[in-house]
Amino acid sequence: MNPLSDRLIELKQFQKDAIIRIQTLGQFHLWIHNEKIDSKKWGRDKTVQLLQYLISNRQRHALHKEKIMDHLWEDGDDRDFKVALHGVNKVLEPERPSRTEPSYVIRQGISYQLDLEKVWIDVEALEQYIIIGNEAFGENQAIAKEAYKEAIALYRGVYLPNRVFEDWSSEEREKIQILILGAYVILAEILLNENPLESIRLAQCAIAIDNTWEDAYRLQMQAYIKKGNRPQAIKAYQKCADVLEKEYGIEPLPATKNLLKEIENI
Amino acid sequence: MAKKADQTASFMVRFNQIIFEEDGESKVQWRGKVSHVQGGDDKSFSDFKEAVAFIQSKLADLTLEATKHETPEVQDSLLKKSFSLWKTISKEGPKVILETIKDPRKQVANIQDQISYLGEDLMDKVHIDQWRNASRSDFNTIKDSISALADEVKKLNAKVDAISTPAKTTKTTKTTKTAKTTRATKKK
Repeated sequence: MNPLSDRLIELKQFQKDAIIRIQTLGQFHLWIHNEKIDSKKWGRDKTVQLLQYLISNRQRHALHKEKIMDHLWEDGDDRDFKVALHGVNKVLEPERPSRTEPSYVIRQGISYQLDLEKVWIDVEALEQYIIIGNEAFGENQAIAKEAYKEAIALYRGVYLPNRVFEDWSSEEREKIQILILGAYVILAEILLNENPLESIRLAQCAIAIDNTWEDAYRLQMQAYIKKGNRPQAIKAYQKCADVLEKEYGIEPLPATKNLLKEIENI
Repeated sequence: MAKKADQTASFMVRFNQIIFEEDGESKVQWRGKVSHVQGGDDKSFSDFKEAVAFIQSKLADLTLEATKHETPEVQDSLLKKSFSLWKTISKEGPKVILETIKDPRKQVANIQDQISYLGEDLMDKVHIDQWRNASRSDFNTIKDSISALADEVKKLNAKVDAISTPAKTTKTTKTTKTAKTTRATKKK
């Protein structure tokens, strides 16, 4: 069996089996044993924020308490942190016996981190799917296609939309946006011959996120030509040229202009 | 006293590097976007000066908001000082990078001081003291090797130019880099 397809299966299985699943894209939701947790259960907003902060920084292992406090509280003290952490643990493990170590928020001294082997998080899964897609791209298009499709299916909107003004969340938001833009464009490219209509849709999704993403316009032009729709291909070029002029005051790249010439000569 | 959040401006800067060929010549183009996290506004730019102007205007707003209860004279003076600080940062920032390139040993020593502050454990693992012993002649050797290599590349380029005819091909590669959030916090 191909190790990449094994990883793909494992990832999908983890999404099904994980006791705790967290959605951060488009909206914030948490499921425990497939049961959606009511937002009222969180109590204070700082409790949710602490979990969201741990998610945003999940790849920086062992986050120091002081650093977390510095980002989340104006003048917070130890008590504020303890209350919020207790709130997180209580939501994640309501039945945990007292004086036992939490299972999902790992503590090492005064550092904290989420156990990614136990908690399924959409952004983490999305990134893993894209990694598999990138590794398979060029070698095994079927796996690449499936992995990018899975990643795209997870993207339900911007990362933690209710925290867009919090600077601790902006790095993760930007990272995910770049990853998903790449996934849309690469999948649109893979599907260009097989399914040009889907390529057009995927490229449009990329343009909806960033209307200056020139690769997406070029793919739309190519896909429209595959469908025999020359006027729409020219329209896509015009849209691209207008946006680039408005946003940057520049013309499209030679590759895009050359493509237009080819289309005009058809 | 104003809240820390009200005194903080964070910026996310995205750079798209586009390398392409036109008329047989390799070209590079930078396209970017700078976003103000707390305000939610963003600005696309192809010249970094536009990004600087955007950041500067947001920082000026921050100073104006924080000093709205002051007299116009005090506000004006603080705004000038705020601008002057920003000018220094934008002027001195590139110098620090240049200094690092020119005198890496000094910068290693700086890092050494910062790391040693963290404790003995880390010192044991990193063995950074050995770095400190690198002499100026070591750096000269590296510099000479790079110069020799650059000469070789120059010669090879001349050979390639002599045997090839420029073809009118167009090829594009795109790289995206996002600068880590820059956080400017003003303390009162």
